[in-house]
Amino acid sequence: MTAIDDDILQAYVDGALDAVDAARVDAALAQDEALARRVRQLRALDARLRAAFDPVLDEPVPERLSALLQPATAPVVPFTVLEGGRGAGAVRRRAPRRWLLPGAALAASVTLLAAGLWWWQSGGGWVRTQGGRQFAAGALTHALDNELASEPDAHAAVAIGLSFRGKDGQVCRSFTVRTPPARAGLACHTPAGWELPVLGPAVPSEGGELRQAASDLPPAVQAAIDARLGGEVFDAQQERAARAAGWR
Amino acid sequence: MHSSDAVREGLIALLPRLRRLARALAGQVADADDLVQVVLERALARSAQWRPDAALDKWVFAIARNAWRDELRARGREQHLFAPEEAGGMVADGSEARHAQQMELAQALAMLPPDHREVVALVLVEGLSYDEAAVLLEVPVGTVTSRLARARATLQAHLGNDA
Repeated sequence: MTAIDDDILQAYVDGALDAVDAARVDAALAQDEALARRVRQLRALDARLRAAFDPVLDEPVPERLSALLQPATAPVVPFTVLEGGRGAGAVRRRAPRRWLLPGAALAASVTLLAAGLWWWQSGGGWVRTQGGRQFAAGALTHALDNELASEPDAHAAVAIGLSFRGKDGQVCRSFTVRTPPARAGLACHTPAGWELPVLGPAVPSEGGELRQAASDLPPAVQAAIDARLGGEVFDAQQERAARAAGWR
Repeated sequence: MHSSDAVREGLIALLPRLRRLARALAGQVADADDLVQVVLERALARSAQWRPDAALDKWVFAIARNAWRDELRARGREQHLFAPEEAGGMVADGSEARHAQQMELAQALAMLPPDHREVVALVLVEGLSYDEAAVLLEVPVGTVTSRLARARATLQAHLGNDA
């Protein structure tokens, strides 16, 4: 290679040069600011593309797509809509146990691995405070924004319980954080984010099955729900529609 | 294990990446997931054609690329450039500033002809090597690199040098 032209710089940025040529470019970059600037531009474009599309990896997969890949033998149990303002624990106990079937469990663990890894990596900052009020942050915001109780995910770090429109018109959702320390709470959608009027330690259900069966709601959360519940709890269709509307 | 089971389980693991590729090809969330659905159906129907020694991701990505070409042909707008307002919705959430940035990028990508955009999607978004992309697209490596260089120049011109 003689002159370092744009094709060579592109191959350098894309990691397609052999070690000798890459070392030559390295040496040239140290001396030639114009070349170095060009490499920075190429890298900035690549970074922008990745920043735009990599988050797709963390998005929940629509059910219509994952359903295509269900083994033919896996029974699909319809979600039962809860009547009245009961706790999320009641929903969880009735939730289908299809994940425990051997074939389905394997498939599910594979499909959820990517999402699970992301949860663990981004764990930590679940909550932020602003003006003395408590808001969801990070992975909790993501779960409240995206997860549907009608499409329960036994491996997700956050389990969504009930969703409903409160007396003041806000959409509220109860949730349980399964990763230790397990927490349960209520989140209500405001222009500033998901406000958390109540958040407390989760109570493990019988047998301590936090991971699989989620937990019962602490009395404080149950009371907060009862205080706000104006009408019906959302069914699967209403929950989906509310998500499409941005929980407004 | 039947090859159809192996393909199905492989597809489950591949689904997030397939959705990312589809988003990079199609732009719109709904269009991209429609594309993913077609790809899953085709891959399952053709699972007997997959040889276990071949990488499943490349095989599926080739199906995706061809399915997207079919879709463009069916729409009869292979040369059509999306109107700016059509280019939105590439990424589902984010702040307003971030949304504006995404819109700008979506518009820039919509300027690319399909053979440039698919190279961007495969190499820059999915991280395939030039050789892998060349095999998948059934073109010489030099064609991959020249399309990529021209695509980058178009994007850079549209987005500014700070990308």
